[in-house]
Amino acid sequence: MTDASFDVVVVGAGRAGVAAAYKLADEEFDVALVERAKQPGMKNVTGGVLYGSILDDLVPEFPEEAPLERHVVEHNIKLLHGDAEVSIGYRDLELREEPNYTLMLGKFDRWFVDRAVEQGVTFLPETGVKDVTQEADRAVVHTDRENGDIACDAVIGADGVNTTVGRKTGIQRTMRNEDMALSVKKVIDVGREEIDRRFNLDSDEGAAYIYTGFPEGAPTIGYFIYTFEEYISVGAVGGLETLRWLGSEGYGDTGTPLYSLLERFMELDTVRPYVRGDAVEEYQGILVPEHSYDSLPGRYDRRVALVGDAAGLVLNKGYTFRGLDYGIKSGLVAAEAAVECEADADWDSFGQRYDDRLEDSYVLQDMKQHRHLPRFLENERMYGAYPGIATETLRSMYSANTDASGLTWRQAYRAFRRSDAGFLDLLRDGYRGLRSL
Amino acid sequence: MSVQDDLETVNWDVSEDAHITVDNEQCVTCEDKPCLHLCPAECFDYQEDQEGGIYFAYEPCVECGACMVFCANDPDKGAVSWSKAEGGKGVEFDFG
Repeated sequence: MTDASFDVVVVGAGRAGVAAAYKLADEEFDVALVERAKQPGMKNVTGGVLYGSILDDLVPEFPEEAPLERHVVEHNIKLLHGDAEVSIGYRDLELREEPNYTLMLGKFDRWFVDRAVEQGVTFLPETGVKDVTQEADRAVVHTDRENGDIACDAVIGADGVNTTVGRKTGIQRTMRNEDMALSVKKVIDVGREEIDRRFNLDSDEGAAYIYTGFPEGAPTIGYFIYTFEEYISVGAVGGLETLRWLGSEGYGDTGTPLYSLLERFMELDTVRPYVRGDAVEEYQGILVPEHSYDSLPGRYDRRVALVGDAAGLVLNKGYTFRGLDYGIKSGLVAAEAAVECEADADWDSFGQRYDDRLEDSYVLQDMKQHRHLPRFLENERMYGAYPGIATETLRSMYSANTDASGLTWRQAYRAFRRSDAGFLDLLRDGYRGLRSL
Repeated sequence: MSVQDDLETVNWDVSEDAHITVDNEQCVTCEDKPCLHLCPAECFDYQEDQEGGIYFAYEPCVECGACMVFCANDPDKGAVSWSKAEGGKGVEFDFG
């Protein structure tokens, strides 16, 4: 016996789940959207930019209607080395033609769910999922509500990196330290005009900053700054395995190593002027999947499809994070697979059809093309030797006090010889970099 | 600043039931105790009078899942029993 039934049950009201539910309601499906939090967004955390063209077809009016923060027109990569910082900045007003925005999920996810409900989605908040079972001709989502079993033709698991759907069905393998990065983030009240002034932005323009190289030589550790309307977010991210050994060496002097690193990052002379603020408004922690294409976990079974973070669909490209749009795309693909199953009256192939479609989509094509990148980004020379060579070369160009003499290429060569990197390392890393990026 | 100061900015609707529990017997043989370094909410505290030296509080959990990965899923550790906080309970972020 079950207590309710729908065509499709979507578990988790993040962007991936809402996109799936929205599209299914649009196709006249009877769809339930189950969410553990009291309100959409309360359990959701991001540290990325929404590359928004993915929403063009589903909600064409979203740039005008959705609660977006700032239109991202500038990206910065900063390599830290001691007291120095080498940066690559890219600002392009043509980026204004693209709907790329910073988001606060508390506001955005609430808006997105409201729109989905208008579309006909049944939203069930405050509902935790305990288990998902598949029977001969249906699937059942077991919730922690009284009389809370929901029968359906198919289940879309959009319940994030720690997916209950994926773990209970055995679709997702057991995650270990090597699979995951940890991120902590602070939202800081800076004020709209101060953000405009400090980051050299017009009032609706936004900028994104990615940092590496601190502490020197620690692989996988990075930082980010994003500008919102009146707030900024500042975060640190690092592979769990790196953080484990940093911690075991007694690194955490003011708490967890990652929190401690974020504090020390924010105190760096080159960073402090950007992140000063009136007050910390919120502190968050989240796991970020760090799979390469070749080590992605399973993402489907007969009547179950995992989308977004639940399927590990996140890619750290080194210069930006992709994940928000991958999640939305995978949700849309799951909805398309359901439409196909309904038309053929064949729900047992739902998972397989989803996976076939996802394999052809730009999400997995993107991850496939960048399959060598996660390994490349684990190379400690990227976090120590190379920022050091860049810094010393630039110092020889701009510092009047340097005792070095000679042409720039000769200075660069000397800096290279002084570093820990050998000539073969440079050749190999250069080749790998070209192949990865 | 310590993480405790920043945790002051976070809200919870604390459940009466713990969504994560720790079997302290397993902590006795755990030498490196990564929980003390890796939990971003410092839910794990070193206290000598506790079995295995670990005192665990689920109340300030920010529900990241790190302890599932570094402890529950490690066959050599496995002190943590992990599940998500029940519907309507646990951490409540304003901004995301």
